[in-house]
Amino acid sequence: MFYVLRDIDLDIAAGDFVSVMGPSGAGKSTLLHILGMHDHGWTGEYFFDETAVHLLKAKERATLRNEQVGFVFQQYHLLDDLTVYENLDIPLSYRHYSKSERAALVADALDRFQIVGKKDLYPRQLSGGQQQLVGVARAIIASPKLLLADEPTGNLHSSQGEEIMELFRRLNEEGVTIVQVTHSEKNASYGKRIIQLRDGWIV
Amino acid sequence: MADLKYAFRMLVKAPAFASIAILTLALGIGANTAIFSLIHDLFLRGLPFKDSSRIVRIYGEAKERDLKQLPFSVPKFWHYRDGQTVFSSIAADWGNGYILTGLGEPAQVLGENVTANYFDLLGIHPILGRNFLQQEEMRDDVGLVTENFWRKRLGSDPGVIGRSIALNGVATTIIGVLPDLPISWFGRDTEIFIVKPFENANATRDRLMRGYSFMRCIGRLKPGITMQQAQSTMPALEQSYRAQHPETADCTWTSVLVSATEDVTGDLRPAFVTLLIAVGAVLMIACSNVANLLLVRFSGRRREIALRMALGANRRNVVRLFVLESASVSVIAGIIGLCLALWIVDLVPKIAGDNVPLEGGIRLHWAVLVFTLLLSLLTGLAMGCYPAWQSSRADLIEGLKESNRTMSASRGQHRFRRGLVSAQVALSMVLLAAAAMLASSFVRLSNQETGFRSDHVWAAGIGLPAGRYPDPASRARFAQRLVEEVQASPGVEVAATVDAVPLSGNYSQTPYARTDGNPLPVNQRPLGLTRSISPGYFRALRIPLLAGREFTERDGADGPLVVILSSSTAKRLFPNENPLGKQLLFGVDNGNGLVAEVVGVVGDVRSRELAKTNDVEFYRPWPQRSVSFFNVIVRTSMNPEAAAPMVRAALDRIDKEMPILQPNTLDTIVAQSLGQRRLTMGLLGAFAGVALLLAVVGIYGAVAYTVEQRTAEIGVRMALGAQVKDVLRLVVRQGMDPVLIGLGFGLVAIFGTGRFLTAQLYQISPHNPMLLALTATGLAIAALLACLIPARRATSIDPIQALRSE
Repeated sequence: MFYVLRDIDLDIAAGDFVSVMGPSGAGKSTLLHILGMHDHGWTGEYFFDETAVHLLKAKERATLRNEQVGFVFQQYHLLDDLTVYENLDIPLSYRHYSKSERAALVADALDRFQIVGKKDLYPRQLSGGQQQLVGVARAIIASPKLLLADEPTGNLHSSQGEEIMELFRRLNEEGVTIVQVTHSEKNASYGKRIIQLRDGWIV
Repeated sequence: MADLKYAFRMLVKAPAFASIAILTLALGIGANTAIFSLIHDLFLRGLPFKDSSRIVRIYGEAKERDLKQLPFSVPKFWHYRDGQTVFSSIAADWGNGYILTGLGEPAQVLGENVTANYFDLLGIHPILGRNFLQQEEMRDDVGLVTENFWRKRLGSDPGVIGRSIALNGVATTIIGVLPDLPISWFGRDTEIFIVKPFENANATRDRLMRGYSFMRCIGRLKPGITMQQAQSTMPALEQSYRAQHPETADCTWTSVLVSATEDVTGDLRPAFVTLLIAVGAVLMIACSNVANLLLVRFSGRRREIALRMALGANRRNVVRLFVLESASVSVIAGIIGLCLALWIVDLVPKIAGDNVPLEGGIRLHWAVLVFTLLLSLLTGLAMGCYPAWQSSRADLIEGLKESNRTMSASRGQHRFRRGLVSAQVALSMVLLAAAAMLASSFVRLSNQETGFRSDHVWAAGIGLPAGRYPDPASRARFAQRLVEEVQASPGVEVAATVDAVPLSGNYSQTPYARTDGNPLPVNQRPLGLTRSISPGYFRALRIPLLAGREFTERDGADGPLVVILSSSTAKRLFPNENPLGKQLLFGVDNGNGLVAEVVGVVGDVRSRELAKTNDVEFYRPWPQRSVSFFNVIVRTSMNPEAAAPMVRAALDRIDKEMPILQPNTLDTIVAQSLGQRRLTMGLLGAFAGVALLLAVVGIYGAVAYTVEQRTAEIGVRMALGAQVKDVLRLVVRQGMDPVLIGLGFGLVAIFGTGRFLTAQLYQISPHNPMLLALTATGLAIAALLACLIPARRATSIDPIQALRSE
């Protein structure tokens, strides 16, 4: 039997900003996907607030995820054939928002991230930093309590990376709990604490 | 809405995929819409009569003599009209030709003699004037004309009511203008109706009252009475008619009710069932092709699926998105298919000739639109669901890691794709085999020896108005003079007359019996095809005289009655005897028929249908059995159509007011007799061609995709020493496996469905091993070629490049 993660005992408080570090294959992304309730091939207990995630059915888990968790990916993962506006609208379309609420939320996000002028552009028309900006905006548009970021600056040059990390700091100050996977010591320092993983173990 | 917008955007972004998928489906949907439109027109829409489902045709039948769909005689009609209790009314009509004079050139117009209540029964109301009144029946010279007649011949005269036209020299007052009538019921070019149903220039009153059957009888069922209930009352009417009219020729016949719709479409049903199955198969092949494309396309979008799910989408959202995409393809294809269908439907009457009762011109009924829309949506769902469902099963985390790299398909998807290829091949095999059988039948029929030579022969109808030609002698004089005049024209080899041209669909039958022994009563005698001909008819059609003599001018109305038999008739009636000099009883005159002596035997002719030999066929001299209508037949040494002006000139010398009706070459008449078969074969052949094309494209697509998926594997194999032939064998074997399975299933299906075709085949079995083998081989070769193209590409893979791309 091969284990990706073993004996993970981890408490993350609301409002925390945790950086997960470790070499490739240590299990960082797997941990992130378990926290984000994408991965359910594990045993043990996982409480999100007071909710016992390990006891939830798939559908309930999906609902909880949709309501509470946002994701930022290293490759941005914007949908190539949707405009910036439509990319921001996508997560809302899968939740119970009315059309007018969705329009208001997207307008807010565009305003807040100062990308109003780019709302009709497609991802390929944006720089990497701009795409990740949209990726972050999309991740928080539904006001998640937890923001998970998998090497969010991995594909950006340093100045763009700093902008994103500053953005994360501001979001954290506003109350969003953040867990990020990173290889960068500098980026990790934006967090309040660092968790090191080696071969599936927390060290 | 956003999903729909996205679906269209994705189609625009992939024009090659969208074009192939849309065109493929458009072919399938178009073929189905076309056939549905024809079926709707012929079978579903019903006749344009008031409550047409309650109208029935009443036929006579004598099963023991294999006689079906027999018309009514005057006494029988009267008996049924007065004695029945199940119809709110009962009416009759019979087709007639009239010479119209006084409106420019004399013209022959087709029409019907009808009972006064005929159009009231059908629920047809004139657009001008009124219908016939009961008191006008058999008394007044009044007529109804069609809208077409009114517009073309009367210049849309608003004062047409009360206007008089001369029909057969009789002043007839127009009392109404009918809307144009369905050709499926009235035939083409029927324009005039008069209210003299119970007189017929071809029969004396005595003959009429002896059961001379010529009227088509219809009834409208009373409310609440079913066809079965009405049918159950027929035996009582038959018995009372038999008791009151024991001497009539038709008193032993039973009565059969047929719904009006079935009556006009009965012969067409098997052909359209075949075509419906064929287009269904084409659509299934098209769907499976597009499903295959969609599966590949959706599988290539796993990253997008994973991302959407990471952002909150559930499987239902993903499936809906993809099904919307496939539905968009099918709806666009439906619109194109509808245009294609309109084109096909417009073409069909031209292919079918006069043998399929279809109105000309493009028509689009709401039912056809609804059918196309539903079919398109259903198609979109059917072909989109599985690929969408399969693709939505993508592993989310793997999908996110995947970036834009293509991933290999699952085993389930491989199996599905191979299954689709097998199904396509099986369906194509069935269609191609059916098309091959029909084509082979058609060729055999086209080459069928008719027993006569149709080349260089021209024919046209001539109606003799009863006023000017009231008796056999005057009719005989006219015909003889016409033949002599035409015969004398330059380039004419032989001129002759006949009451009905072979294979024209017109024929008459007469009761007959041998005089020796105890002849059966007239009403129990079999009916035999009988043609009235002039001397020269056999020479004009090159029908060989096998024994005895042809008719001569001496076989006149006053001479001894004579008859010539076809070879089969002679063998049947006089087995092992010399028929010459023998005597036969014909007709119903005198209550026992008239005695005629056999003077000759000629070769058999396929005169009713090319596909059927006639058991019995008699030829009688025209002067001894003349009617008011005949055809002049001219064999020329030049272009047969050159006979037309000669006949016109000859008529002008004899009777200027005599129009020529339905002139045509005999070659055309013979070709038109195959109209329905030509239509079925043409459509099925086209559909089979489309099926083959789609199947080959499908096979190519599946193999090409497999090669793409296995590029790295093939690269490794080549790096390890595989030769070109090894790679070819690998790819072709993988491509041909499902093809061979499909061929096997196709053969099994042909054995299961062959019976649908049997009725439409001629001298060939639906399981003909040679044709099946040829079809299977042809399909296998086409499939092999489809495999070879991607297989050749596979052999040009650069191992290093392939391994690097992995």
